[in-house]
Amino acid sequence: MDIFSDLVMGLTIAISPINILYLLIGAVVGMIVGVIPGFGPSAGLAILLPVTFGMDPIGAIMMLAAIYYGAMYGGTITSILLNTPGESATVASTFDGFPLAKQGRAGPALVMQAVASFVGGTVGVILITILAPMFAQVSRSFGPPEYFLLALMGMLTLIVMIGAQWKLGVISALIGFALGTVGVDLETGQSRYTFGSAELIGGIYFIPIAIGLFGLGELFYAFYSGLHKTGSGGIVEYDKEERFWPTAQDWLSTRVTMVRCSVLGFVVGVIPGAGATIASLMAYSTERSLSKNGDNFGKGEMAGLVAPETANNAASSGAMIPLLTLGIPGSASTAVLLAAFLLWGLRPGPLFMEQNPEFAWGLIASMYLGNMALLAISIFAIPLFVQIIKVPYRVLGPCVVVVCALGTFSVHASFVETFLMFGAGIVGFFMRLYGFSAAALVLALVLGPLAEEALRQTMTISRGSFAIFVERPPSLWIIAITIALVVLLPLLNRFGNSSSGKAEKAGQ
Amino acid sequence: MRIAFFVALLAASIFYSYIAFADLNFMTRSGRLGPGFFPRILGATAIVMTIWALLEEMRNEDAPHGAAQQWRDVALLMALALGYAVLLRLFGGLVATVIFLAVALSLLNRGKPLKNALISVLVPAFVYLLFDRILNANMPPALIDLPI
Repeated sequence: MDIFSDLVMGLTIAISPINILYLLIGAVVGMIVGVIPGFGPSAGLAILLPVTFGMDPIGAIMMLAAIYYGAMYGGTITSILLNTPGESATVASTFDGFPLAKQGRAGPALVMQAVASFVGGTVGVILITILAPMFAQVSRSFGPPEYFLLALMGMLTLIVMIGAQWKLGVISALIGFALGTVGVDLETGQSRYTFGSAELIGGIYFIPIAIGLFGLGELFYAFYSGLHKTGSGGIVEYDKEERFWPTAQDWLSTRVTMVRCSVLGFVVGVIPGAGATIASLMAYSTERSLSKNGDNFGKGEMAGLVAPETANNAASSGAMIPLLTLGIPGSASTAVLLAAFLLWGLRPGPLFMEQNPEFAWGLIASMYLGNMALLAISIFAIPLFVQIIKVPYRVLGPCVVVVCALGTFSVHASFVETFLMFGAGIVGFFMRLYGFSAAALVLALVLGPLAEEALRQTMTISRGSFAIFVERPPSLWIIAITIALVVLLPLLNRFGNSSSGKAEKAGQ
Repeated sequence: MRIAFFVALLAASIFYSYIAFADLNFMTRSGRLGPGFFPRILGATAIVMTIWALLEEMRNEDAPHGAAQQWRDVALLMALALGYAVLLRLFGGLVATVIFLAVALSLLNRGKPLKNALISVLVPAFVYLLFDRILNANMPPALIDLPI
């Protein structure tokens, strides 16, 4: 009953006209970001974060959250019509989405992906509504040792998921941690790595690095990959098809898939480091092995499109649980969201929902509304997004440079930060090119100062003894869960990738 | 290029560690963890990991090399972006953006002068309205005022 009244309170905040406007802008911008190949939610969030500074905090967070989950909706449109995923979480949607489009069923595929995304997103928000207060209750006994271990768990699981390139993931995380040590040490007041610069005393700010790595770095990589030369020539003309709406058979054959993959996606999303990409691949593989039409997967099976779509949206919702209740982002996108919270002086964690109920429940309530808005936008605004796909990358590229530069400058009116953003963009390109992980770097940059502070507090409490980590039951639980994840996640990753590989071959 | 990137990372790790060991204390006078505790562990680990990765890279001779054309395009965009950074400092947000877009589009989107000219004017105008008028955010000020 408490949850219900909290949710109603959240809804009253979320449905103010200005917040609804921010939500709709966020949803549309998120879809646009998702539609543009090479740009995922983390890039969209980082680039647009400065734009929200003049807004009311609740409206701004609602808008940023809508960009975050809206990108999942948008990314699939190019997967279906162009066989080019808008971002990594929609790769699995190309396996059956594009074959469906080639069979003249692009319309039903687009509608079903929107419905699947809506179901996944909404089930995810329902589960957040029920589980987030419970998570917050459990984590209330957490102290500095547990926070340090949680930060470590977030980093370790992300690095483990990188797979064969894990060494480069570790180096990326170390760079992020190192950048996080720049500035005045709050405990002793000593300057670290400031080299006499007044601008660096407050530390290296998160936003220029995130915008540089995800915005400019990805843009440079897109140019390197030749995206600016490929047009949208291969796009399927869905509006020339006879049937736009799905058949009764499409609905009936996918109803269980939607429920199953919503829960699976949500659970995977809650695990730090796993995220929407793994959730979508796992859902595809699981559905393929459970379906009676498993052999048709990869050849244009509707359940093969619905499964990853439901899962990636549910996973996006699931990732909000560790963010809101523990203050630990499990991915680069949620790291940017955490940075946004911190910018407005809000520190997510066990007491966050209790101390900021309007904010937390306003955000959760807005996610229900956001998913409804996205369902309508996804179906009825397809022509708009098709026009955006047709904008050549060689025109889009310079415009992205402008938004990145002016967005960075607008935060602190600092040329040093603007130049830092350009530097991070160039480094980000080489990192992407040589297999480093920008996500690990950004996550470490956010988590590093929190982890260092927690470790130093822990050592003060324990008078320098590391035994404290195994003496406290919550710490022991976190260590046990971390070990289990480090062992299990690579196996799940391999399972998802191998089955998807088979699907790709089947489709060829 | 790949090896050079790893060597640059190694040099940065060594420099970071040098400062951590030379200037920052491991423990404070009261026996607590000092400002150098975290950086020393990070720096030392970064050196070990980078050397490990570098040695593996040197053994792996089959690493893919991009075509010259790919490098030309990305180098052009990087040069344009860095030029834009300088222009921002000199001429401020609005004028620098018009110049940058005009030059960038004339090089990247050849053969469409009218479209490029329109974008070069409309995008900065929209960005100026959004940042300066609607959001009341900071736009980069000009160091040199142009007589326009």
